[in-house]
Amino acid sequence: MSFGEREAASGLITTLIVTLLFLWRISGQYADGAFDGPDALQTWARSVLVLVAWSIGIAIAVFIAVAILHGILTGETDDDRKDERDRDIDRRSLTWAWYLLSFGILGVIIDLALGASAFRAVNLILALCGLSEAFRDAAKLVLYRRGA
Amino acid sequence: VPRIENRIRRLRFDAGEMTQKDLADRVGVTRQTIIAIEGAKYSPTLELAFRIARAFDVPLDQVFTFHDE
Repeated sequence: MSFGEREAASGLITTLIVTLLFLWRISGQYADGAFDGPDALQTWARSVLVLVAWSIGIAIAVFIAVAILHGILTGETDDDRKDERDRDIDRRSLTWAWYLLSFGILGVIIDLALGASAFRAVNLILALCGLSEAFRDAAKLVLYRRGA
Repeated sequence: VPRIENRIRRLRFDAGEMTQKDLADRVGVTRQTIIAIEGAKYSPTLELAFRIARAFDVPLDQVFTFHDE
């Protein structure tokens, strides 16, 4: 497993953990009525900022854990080089994720035009960011395994 | 379907069983990329293809062949 492949696997695990944590936190706040007042978006934004701080820590921890596990299981020394194949796979997966995000945001704009609330829109945009990130990492893993 | 085939495995054998890691280090890529090229799962850039040919001291068409059928 190359450095780029491990990076994609770590990213996928991180996105999954952060998404679950965010759903747990936001659904808890929603149940407590934290988003009922006029400052709902500010409360939501503060929760997202906390999530961003969590995600950085989680990403570092997961990356180190995957690297250690990989070393134990394969006995390979760490090669953290990225070459032209890694860059090609990065470029392709980023393009696909960008299409997903772009069309998703267009969908959110249409949803807003049809009367959806701003609170729903920002949640959908955040979900799209997470989804496109997960899609990018999953696409990378497929390209590494199937061939680019 | 266009297809690029290669003789890297054979050339490594002829070069005294050069390892994939040795070849990777010589041409400046990871071992996984050499594995992918050998297995026809990745088509290298022209620059890398020339570097691989130079590593074996042979012309490019003795390493890679292109089939357009």
